[in-house]
Amino acid sequence: MIRLEGIITENIAPLSIEIKKSSAYKIIAASEDAKKDLLDAILGIRKPVSGRVFLFDREIYSIPARECLNLFRRTGVVLSDGGTISNIKVWENITLPLWYHSGKKPADVEDSIIEVYKQLGVSRSYFSEHIGRLPGPLPAHEKRIIGLVRALLMEPELMIYDSLLEGMGHETAERLERLTAKFHAEKPGRTSVYITTNELSVKNMQADVVVRI
Amino acid sequence: MSPLINARGIGGSIINIGRYAKGYYELFGYSLKNLPVLKISPVRSVLYKQIYFTGVEALSKIALLGMLIGLVIITQITNLAGSNAVLTEKILIWTVVRELGPLLAAIIIIARSGTAIASELGAMKVNRELDHLRIMGIDPMDYLLVPRVLGITVSVFIITLYFQLTAVAGGLALTSLIMDIPFLQHLKGIFLALSFFEVAVSLLKSLVFGLLIAVISCYQGLSVRDSITEIPQAATKAVMQSLFLVFIFDGIITFIAFI
Repeated sequence: MIRLEGIITENIAPLSIEIKKSSAYKIIAASEDAKKDLLDAILGIRKPVSGRVFLFDREIYSIPARECLNLFRRTGVVLSDGGTISNIKVWENITLPLWYHSGKKPADVEDSIIEVYKQLGVSRSYFSEHIGRLPGPLPAHEKRIIGLVRALLMEPELMIYDSLLEGMGHETAERLERLTAKFHAEKPGRTSVYITTNELSVKNMQADVVVRI
Repeated sequence: MSPLINARGIGGSIINIGRYAKGYYELFGYSLKNLPVLKISPVRSVLYKQIYFTGVEALSKIALLGMLIGLVIITQITNLAGSNAVLTEKILIWTVVRELGPLLAAIIIIARSGTAIASELGAMKVNRELDHLRIMGIDPMDYLLVPRVLGITVSVFIITLYFQLTAVAGGLALTSLIMDIPFLQHLKGIFLALSFFEVAVSLLKSLVFGLLIAVISCYQGLSVRDSITEIPQAATKAVMQSLFLVFIFDGIITFIAFI
C-alpha cells in the first residue's frame, strides 16, 4: 500500500517502511515537524530530499500528476486540521469528493452522513445547525470530524489518520476508536495508518505494527 | 552608475513582463483545454456561483450606473447641440455601445470580483487548501480555475449588454422625464442607427476584457506562496494589471475596428 525507501527530509533520518495491505499501523513521530514531513512525502506535497515513495506500488514523484490524483482517490486522509475547503459549507466539504468522482448528489448520501454523525454521538439539532455553516470558525477537532466523515464516505482502500484523537473529549475519542476499527474490519483488504506525535492518544487503537520515527 | 541602474531596472521589467505574459498565456491555455471538466457537477456548481456573485449580484449597481451615465451624456449633448435627435443617437452609440459599455463593465468587475478572486485564491493557497483538494483526488486547477475563468468571462459579457441597454433606454427615459425629449422616437432612432458591426465589436471587447480579468486575477491569486502578507499584494497586482491590460486591449480593438 505504502512503501518508503530510504526517505530523507529535513526532520527525518533515512526511513524505510512498508505498510502492507489489510494491516493497521501506528506511526509515532518524534516531533510535529517529522510528522509533517512524513505526511507531506506520502501525500505528494513535498518531495523528500532523497529516497522513493510508493503508493499502491506506484512511485508518486515520478508519475504524471493526473495519475497521482487517481491514487489519492483510493486513499482517505483525515488531516489534523480537517483539510477543509474554506469557501464551501460543511455539507459541501463532506460530499465534495464523492460528488466529484462518482456523481452522487449530496442528497443521495444525506442518510449516510447522519448515520456517521449519530455514531459519533452528535445530536440531530447540532448536526442540522452545523452542516450549513462555513467551516472556518469551527475548532480543529470538529473540522477533523468533517474530514473523517468525508473520507469514510469514499470507502477508500487505504485510510491515513493524522492525529485523529488529539483534542477530542474522552467519549468522542472512544466513539472514534470504535468507528475507525469498525471501518477497518468492515471490508477485507482495508489498510489503516494512524500517525501522531502523542503515543498516549492512540494507545487504544488496535494496530499490527508500531513504528517510531 | 545611473545608466547601469536604469539598464538593470529596464531589464528586470522586461523579464517580469515576459514572465507574466507566459504565465497568463499558460493559464488561459489550460482553461481552454480543460473546459470539458465542466461536465463534472461540482465544477459546474462553482461556475454557477461565480456567475451569480460576479454577474447577477452586480446587476442592480450596473443598472443605476447605466441610467445615470445615459442621463449625463444625453443632458450634455442637449446642452451643447440642442434637441438634435440624430446627433444624440450617434453620440450615445459612440460612447455607450462602442466604448463605455465594455470598459465600465470591466472596471466594475475588476473592482468587485478581480480583487475578491485574487484574495480568495491567495488565502486558499496559504491555508494549503489546494493540497487538500489534491489529496481528495481533485485537480485544484480544474476545480478552482476553469469555472472562474469561464464564469467571469460570461459575467463581463452579460454585464456589458445590460449596461448598454440600461444606459441607452434608462438614460433616455430619465431624460425624457426631466427634459422634453420624446423617448420612443429617440429609442427607435438609436436601434435603427446601431449597426451589427458595432454591437459585435463591443461584445468582442467584453469577451476579451472578461478573459483578461479572469486570467490575471486567478494567476495573481495562485502566485501567493506561503505568507498572508502576499494576499493584499496579489489583489493590488490583479487590479492594476487588469486595468492596464483592459485599456491597452480596448485601444487595440478600437483602432483595428474603427480606424
